[in-house]
Amino acid sequence: MASGLDSESGDGGGRENRLFDLSPELAIDTDVARRVMVGFIRNQLRQAGFDRALLGLSGGIDSALVAFLVAEAVGPEHLLCVLMPYRTSSSESVVDARTVVDRLGCASDLVDISPVVDGYFGRDGAPGGGGESASDAAPLRRGNFMARARMCVLYDRSVAWGGLVVGTGNKSEALIGYTTLFGDSACAFNPIGDLYKSQVRQVAAAVGVPEQIIRKPPSADLWPGQTDEIEAGFSYPELDRLLFWMIDKRRTDEELVGMGFPEAEIARVKRLVAVSEFKRQVPPVAKLGPRTTGVDYLYPRRRPGSTAR
Amino acid sequence: MKPLRIALAQLAPRLGLLEDNLARHREIVAEARAGGAGLVVFPELGLTGYQLQDLAAEVAMRADDPRLLGLAADAVGLSAIVSFVEEAADHRLFISAALLEDGAVRFVHRKLFLPTYGLFDERRFFAPGDRLRTVDSRLGVRLGLAVCEDFWHLAVPETLALDGAQILINVSSSPGRDLAAIHEVGLGTAASWRTLMRTYAQLTTSFVVFCNRVGMDETISFWGGSEVIAPSGDAVFTAPLFDEGLHFVDIELGDVRRERIGLPLLRDERPELHLRELRRILAERTEMAIDAASESPDGRSAEPTRADASADEAERS
Repeated sequence: MASGLDSESGDGGGRENRLFDLSPELAIDTDVARRVMVGFIRNQLRQAGFDRALLGLSGGIDSALVAFLVAEAVGPEHLLCVLMPYRTSSSESVVDARTVVDRLGCASDLVDISPVVDGYFGRDGAPGGGGESASDAAPLRRGNFMARARMCVLYDRSVAWGGLVVGTGNKSEALIGYTTLFGDSACAFNPIGDLYKSQVRQVAAAVGVPEQIIRKPPSADLWPGQTDEIEAGFSYPELDRLLFWMIDKRRTDEELVGMGFPEAEIARVKRLVAVSEFKRQVPPVAKLGPRTTGVDYLYPRRRPGSTAR
Repeated sequence: MKPLRIALAQLAPRLGLLEDNLARHREIVAEARAGGAGLVVFPELGLTGYQLQDLAAEVAMRADDPRLLGLAADAVGLSAIVSFVEEAADHRLFISAALLEDGAVRFVHRKLFLPTYGLFDERRFFAPGDRLRTVDSRLGVRLGLAVCEDFWHLAVPETLALDGAQILINVSSSPGRDLAAIHEVGLGTAASWRTLMRTYAQLTTSFVVFCNRVGMDETISFWGGSEVIAPSGDAVFTAPLFDEGLHFVDIELGDVRRERIGLPLLRDERPELHLRELRRILAERTEMAIDAASESPDGRSAEPTRADASADEAERS
């Protein structure tokens, strides 16, 4: 396995100095990737008639990278980063998000979502608007609610700011379904949705995302101490390698086993991908009329006359 | 012989905006003329954009559409290759590339191969062309036109060269993908195309002109990298990736003769052998298809049919 920092700086540093691990087959030309993504952002905004964008900046690597790319595409003065911590969110997250905002010189907003979330689930034994049944909700329900509360804030701010919401989800989490439907996955467009997490790290290093953000363990930060890799029981470099060979390179289970991937891991990841298919698609509409959107009424999203203003 | 100056219009068409794209073509024709070009080449669907889906019918033009003739009138004195959605008299839609000369549409090539796999869905919206011909241009050279996917089928460059083309021109809207670092210039698509064009130029001992668009339609980025390859297989010119631009390239048409005298591959082609074997292969394929289809439910093969007999005849002829 190559190390991004080692291979780029050629300093031959030890494993502990590596900024990230990257399988050689996943390594991309970061200049080309950056060029395509920046062009994509510019194009999506222009075609929709907007020159401003906003995104939820968590302090993690995905949203930090997207912030850097948007700033490069349309200038930091056209970017609003919205920080939306919950009271149990790691304080480090806000600090790291602030670092990105300071580095880019873009606008930022801090919205504490605690009152919204607690207003529904209740707090300290007092029930909220969700009633008794909501007060003992499991972390999954709370986590999903938080992700959707952030979506509500972003879409509200998008009207006030006059910009489009840029998506920050990566390919790894989309494929295994590690996202909240209509929550963190909601956006007008997503420049990094076809990059695996390991590739996000590679590009992040290339565009200058602060090192401490690249180094820290990925986390949805929905509850204290949560990390993606502990929760899902995998390491991103390994998961990404498996997804790459399974999906992009169409290898069969047998071939994957032959390549050294554990059978149980293959089965588990395949199941995760299959059960989350619904999260990656537009909800189905029952076919009734002569022409049905998405079925036999097929137009580009950005067609002549589609510009909002 | 005076060099031929080719202008490669590596532009980013605007999706579905025919009038805007027509205006842009007119500007570029004027620039090409001012730059001393004899031939100006625009990319596949340069007049309409690529990812049209149901918009295809809305931007379609007949080959004698006054808007196209207007562009031809603007290009008088030049040879121009432009590409658009062509609507036939029977209302089939084609992805076409036209040679405009002397104020007229001199020749139209309809895209033969419509990719409908992976990210492509062309056959859903378009009909495939069924003629592969070359055309004598006013430049004193015979041209062979092809559109994008046409060049992913060996028979196309081969047939064009056998039919006397000395310049093979491919106009494309090739979506960039497969961004692995192992590829030349970091883009799998570019690496494959470059291999193809050098190979075709060398094997047909012809010039290959490749004009690929840039810009984005929806989620797709087109990578540009337009090229001119000499009959030796060496690149004469390679345009930058992703950047819009009008590029002038001078070629020596005498290179075709020099290459073909020194390396007489075209002379040594065996089209009659190829044709004979193709006939045999087709006949055998037909036979196989009939056998498979006529298998009885209990697994026994059905009796030979009349179609088998005619397949035998085809083999003998």
